[in-house]
Amino acid sequence: MQSHDKYRIALLSAYALALHGFEGILPTPIPWLRLGLANIITLTTLLLYGFRPAIMVTLIRVILASLFTGTFLGPAFILSLGGGVTSTLAMGLILSLMPELFGPVGLSLIGALFHNIAQLLLAYVIFIQRIEAILLISPIIILIGTLTGSVNGIISEILIKNLKNTEKHLEYKSNH
Amino acid sequence: MINKFKVKSLKLKVFLLFTFYFSLFTFLCACTPQKEKVYRKTKILMDTLVTISVVSNSKGDAEKAIDAAFSEIEKLEKLLNFFSPDSEVSLINKNAGISEVKVSPDTLNILDKALSVSEKTDGAFDVTIGPVITLYDFHKKIRPEENAIKKNLPLVNYKELIITRNKSTAFLKKRGMLIDLGGISKGYAADRAVEILKKRGINSGLVSIAGDIKAFGLKPDGKSWNIGIRNPRAKGQEDDIMATIELKDMAISTSGDYERSFIIGEERYHHLLNPKTGYPAKGFRSVSIITKEGTFTDAFSTGIFVLGPEKGTKVLEAMGFDGIIVDSNGKIYTTPGIKGKVALK
Amino acid sequence: MNSGLKGILNSTTIADRLLLFILILLSSSGVVFVKEILPKGRTVQIEADSLPVYRLPIDEEKTVSVKGPHGNTIVEIKNHKVRIIESPCPNKLCIQQGWIESGAVVCLPNRVVVIIGDIDSKDRKVVDAVT
Repeated sequence: MQSHDKYRIALLSAYALALHGFEGILPTPIPWLRLGLANIITLTTLLLYGFRPAIMVTLIRVILASLFTGTFLGPAFILSLGGGVTSTLAMGLILSLMPELFGPVGLSLIGALFHNIAQLLLAYVIFIQRIEAILLISPIIILIGTLTGSVNGIISEILIKNLKNTEKHLEYKSNH
Repeated sequence: MINKFKVKSLKLKVFLLFTFYFSLFTFLCACTPQKEKVYRKTKILMDTLVTISVVSNSKGDAEKAIDAAFSEIEKLEKLLNFFSPDSEVSLINKNAGISEVKVSPDTLNILDKALSVSEKTDGAFDVTIGPVITLYDFHKKIRPEENAIKKNLPLVNYKELIITRNKSTAFLKKRGMLIDLGGISKGYAADRAVEILKKRGINSGLVSIAGDIKAFGLKPDGKSWNIGIRNPRAKGQEDDIMATIELKDMAISTSGDYERSFIIGEERYHHLLNPKTGYPAKGFRSVSIITKEGTFTDAFSTGIFVLGPEKGTKVLEAMGFDGIIVDSNGKIYTTPGIKGKVALK
Repeated sequence: MNSGLKGILNSTTIADRLLLFILILLSSSGVVFVKEILPKGRTVQIEADSLPVYRLPIDEEKTVSVKGPHGNTIVEIKNHKVRIIESPCPNKLCIQQGWIESGAVVCLPNRVVVIIGDIDSKDRKVVDAVT
């Protein structure tokens, strides 16, 4: 890994962390309503720089956020880690298997879906252990995830386009 | 540039995925066994419904402990059952006025405790009530003739039940005397069942043998066990609860005039007989007693019910027990010791 | 380069749109149907000789027969209530108890226990035992 990329990962992780924190202070009407803003960064990283940076950004974000809030290795951390890693893995896998099939919006939807599935399963194992309760809230959570996921996908798409433009610009500059 | 970080092979990705889930899984497995749950089993024993709940992190351990407690209750049932001809109680009854009977430590123990309660309640609780209580049939709604009660009443006297500790024998002095441990055996069995559960490493649980309940430890959510107390004048519903009480390391028993009873005309005939008159005691609708030992809650709830408002409350105070009492007008009294733990409905 | 929301919409693939459509369809129908499918809370548990024989939802009309040591006890579930309608026991106390909405009906001689509410589930019952 070049120092160039380390720098990039650090920057992206910082963005993700900032969004994660920002989301944490936003008041939510429903306790399960999470916007998943950090996924914008994960998805952007995945599409621009590939799988490994994406998973690193996710891990750094989850671990640092939990350290900041003092929930490291606690149940909330496990939920966050399981959701984050699963969604990144799912998006990475789909992208490498069928690179042309989905755009950022589709990938974001997949990420949101797997994020929620993983969290619901983990919640079942760790907290609730009542399958009825999980089944009852699953569709609502997945519906909300689909809506926020598509918005995040659109934001990622705009972000990627802008970043590509600036990079081209930068490359052009450095070459001349 | 863009593809630089892409993991080259799918195999590696799948491998990563598996490692992640495997480590997460093992991590969770290491955490979850600490999770405690309530395991509960119900069985018909001592002619009633016995429910045992235990808090444990293993279903297997919980069930083994519950089964051990059930078999302890079963063992006691065999010793103490009034109706089974080969129980030790029947043996003592058959040999009334004839000879001493050698009994097991459990029987000796329970008789000893029964006698001490009789003394403290001035005979209001009396296990030698047998000759009178058998005259009533609460299922068929039969009340005895006055003459029959008069004839059998002299046979009721706890002072003529002699137990000899060092020989471990019991003896009823007069022929025709009968001991019936129905008013103490369930509480005693609850005590024994809790002991067995504790021996099996259970730290928290609830044993309920009909209305005789013993709670120890706390529930997995860190709360005390919540016990409902029946409304003695329930309308239709079996489980109409008038109050709830939180219990931890305590037993509770209720004696009520609604339990085994029938009504003829205006008169309510119930199983809580006054050993001095042979007729059902009046003055209370229900008496719930709370203290550490189930044997005492069971026996004293009967004794204090029979003593009635004046003498009964004095005994309650003297013993330092807590209680919830409903008088004949339906007024509910609670002792100061359980303030904050009782919720009336 | 297309700009604005329109450009974004145009750049989504067919698979993107299809996925969004399917997810919304499935989850919103899930919201509606899951409540219907799930059993409504309480169940009736029937035990014979300490062994669970039936577990039935209380909101379904049903009449079942349970075999005990003395013969068959017949339990009826109707209108969220339960009763024993036939029993081989001598005093028929269980039948006299009539309809119950909560708690239990027990036939001691035939060793049949009918309990409303899950006895082994983690249901947060208000009361742990009744005296």
